[in-house]
Amino acid sequence: MRAGMRILAGMKRALDIGHNDLRIFFRQRAWYVWLFIMPLAFTYFMGFAVQGPGSPGAPQLGLLIENEDPGFLGGILLQELGEQGLRLLGPTNRNEAKRGLKIPPDFTERVLKKEKTSVGFFTVSGSGDEAAALVEVRLVRALIALHGHLVEHALATAGQPPSEDALRDLMRRENPVVLDSKYAGRKPIPTGFNLSLPGNLVMYLMMNLLIFGGATVAAERRSGVLRRLAVHPVSRAALVTGKIYGLMLLGCAQIALLLAVGRVLLGVDMSGRWFSILVTLLVYAWVAASLGVLIGSVVTAEEKIIGLCLLLSLPMAALGGCWWPLEIVPVPLQIVAHLIPTGWAMDALHQLISFGGGFAQAKEEIGVLLLFGAAANFAAAKCFRC
Amino acid sequence: MLSTGPWQTGLIPGRVLFLPSVEALNLQDSDFGFRISHAAMPLLKAHQLLKRFGEICAVNLINFEVREGEIYGLLGPNGAGKTTTISMVCGLLKPDAGEVVVEGLNFWSDPQRARRIMGVVPQEVALYDELSGRENLEFWGRMAGLTAPTARDRAGELLESLSLADRAQDAVGTYSGGMKRRINLGCALLHRPRLLLLDEPTVGIDPQARLRILEFIRGLATDGTAILYTTHYLEEAETLCQRIGIIDHGQLLAEGTLSELQRRLGGSQLFVIDGELKDATPEEWLGFRDRFRVIQKSDHQLVASAGGECDPADCLKQLLALPVRVQNVTLKRPSLNDVFLQLTGRELRE
Repeated sequence: MRAGMRILAGMKRALDIGHNDLRIFFRQRAWYVWLFIMPLAFTYFMGFAVQGPGSPGAPQLGLLIENEDPGFLGGILLQELGEQGLRLLGPTNRNEAKRGLKIPPDFTERVLKKEKTSVGFFTVSGSGDEAAALVEVRLVRALIALHGHLVEHALATAGQPPSEDALRDLMRRENPVVLDSKYAGRKPIPTGFNLSLPGNLVMYLMMNLLIFGGATVAAERRSGVLRRLAVHPVSRAALVTGKIYGLMLLGCAQIALLLAVGRVLLGVDMSGRWFSILVTLLVYAWVAASLGVLIGSVVTAEEKIIGLCLLLSLPMAALGGCWWPLEIVPVPLQIVAHLIPTGWAMDALHQLISFGGGFAQAKEEIGVLLLFGAAANFAAAKCFRC
Repeated sequence: MLSTGPWQTGLIPGRVLFLPSVEALNLQDSDFGFRISHAAMPLLKAHQLLKRFGEICAVNLINFEVREGEIYGLLGPNGAGKTTTISMVCGLLKPDAGEVVVEGLNFWSDPQRARRIMGVVPQEVALYDELSGRENLEFWGRMAGLTAPTARDRAGELLESLSLADRAQDAVGTYSGGMKRRINLGCALLHRPRLLLLDEPTVGIDPQARLRILEFIRGLATDGTAILYTTHYLEEAETLCQRIGIIDHGQLLAEGTLSELQRRLGGSQLFVIDGELKDATPEEWLGFRDRFRVIQKSDHQLVASAGGECDPADCLKQLLALPVRVQNVTLKRPSLNDVFLQLTGRELRE
């Protein structure tokens, strides 16, 4: 009973310390730059710098359509093109098109007669060549799909000509064989805001919590505040927990802002995975906060702490894949990435944000982060000095 | 209340000067407006405390007690071991030997209980500069175990008592040194501790601010708080503390009330003789040893106490007749500095 009361009192003190630290952080407006403005700016600019076709910010490729076919097969081909991710444009949006497609007037008629027919693929004046290959690939895939449906219908009806309804019905059915050929069996490489948002969150969480944690603990030791706390009925465990909790609250503020901006303004799709993403980031914030308190406990020279934290957090960001995808670095560096918490945090976030995975796909990474957190917290508690 | 006849006499052959002196204040227990009950229970007992830092013995087998309603002063120069002692008493440091007993129980048998009883005012201004005076008080109150509403109420009361109500909402970083010291003191009082440990709480502030703080501390003692007060200011120890322990190089050299300590010098009169004393040998001077005791001697100054109830005029006559060239003789009541001088061979102010 008495032990329970003590634990409760300790928790209350830890919460009070954490809330007080958060209040003090927010009184120091100069820190807002590093907490909010820099991470947002870097997320935005890096997102553009590493943008790929699958990025949320990248527009769908435009295809100018000149459909002269009065029959239904022209319309079905256009539906297939839309499903391949192409944006179909009319003459009024001609300047947005990368390439053009002309469907001849006898397209349906010749196909139904089982005669050879062609569609015209042409260059739109003023458009560059950079996206033409991608448009062409998608066009070919749409034509293959149309052929597939025609063959399937012919097999099912012993060569009867297809009707529009019959073909659309076939299109709605699930294909018996599906080839996920987007990335030829590899994981996709995260690009654009899908990379820059988690990358900057992971980097700035680590950097800010290391710096704020280390500098605060060292400053409070210098000013005697920690010694004063120690002469109150506050246990060492409550004191360390309170310090880590305060830093985690600060991390939560940063997480909330960046995720909200990422979703609302940058279009990063996190629907259905919010819980897993928040769990990952909270566990990671625990790791970073514990490391911050550990640094403040080990390094007494206040002026050295910021430099040391930058020296630690920037290489960890680079090695952990916050600045570029780990897929493009050599294997030894990929191994190094998995010796540090940033690498595991990025893996988990890519699983959840870029690859559409759920908690099950990220649980291994979250588990490793929990181990990092436990080790850092233990070390911080062990080394904490007033 | 206070002795109205502080006196210090400067004598130059042929001339007599009367100089007022704080050191000459003759304070008794009753001068503090109340008499200490020596039968009162010691709330704090330090027994044979020992602390070493490597080869250095910072505190060497110190013993003292602080009773309810008493202000006990630990007087000593910087580095004497005052802060180390107070750190052991409040549990910041564990003694290598000895024990700290708070209200009858060893501190380390239940540190949290002991900490709830005591309030500690550190030597440094350990406050959050970014927070207001009120916010600081409330936070430290909650750390002491108060609920938020209680901490809020008591912070308001303390701000009034400390004359800081009009600046309560301002950030502590904008306060003057004296105001910070007052808040620093207040932060230790939210939970109304029965034992208050004050580690040089008036360092670095102006005399007026110091007087306000000392007056406040006297009020706390009047209300029954046991106070351990460390200082290197003689005047504070003399005017504030009912009992004083003189500490140097980690050892408690003497302890007692001001008058008890003064009596250690063997008399109520102290003569300071300035002159050419390099080759002087007082022990060989005729009749000198019968009446005087040498407290300190240097090439230019001799401090001697007069034993018994001798007439100052007779003493002066005898001193002026000494076989040395005397430039000045000063007669004064012994101060704590003289006691310290006698105990250590050097002045506290050195």
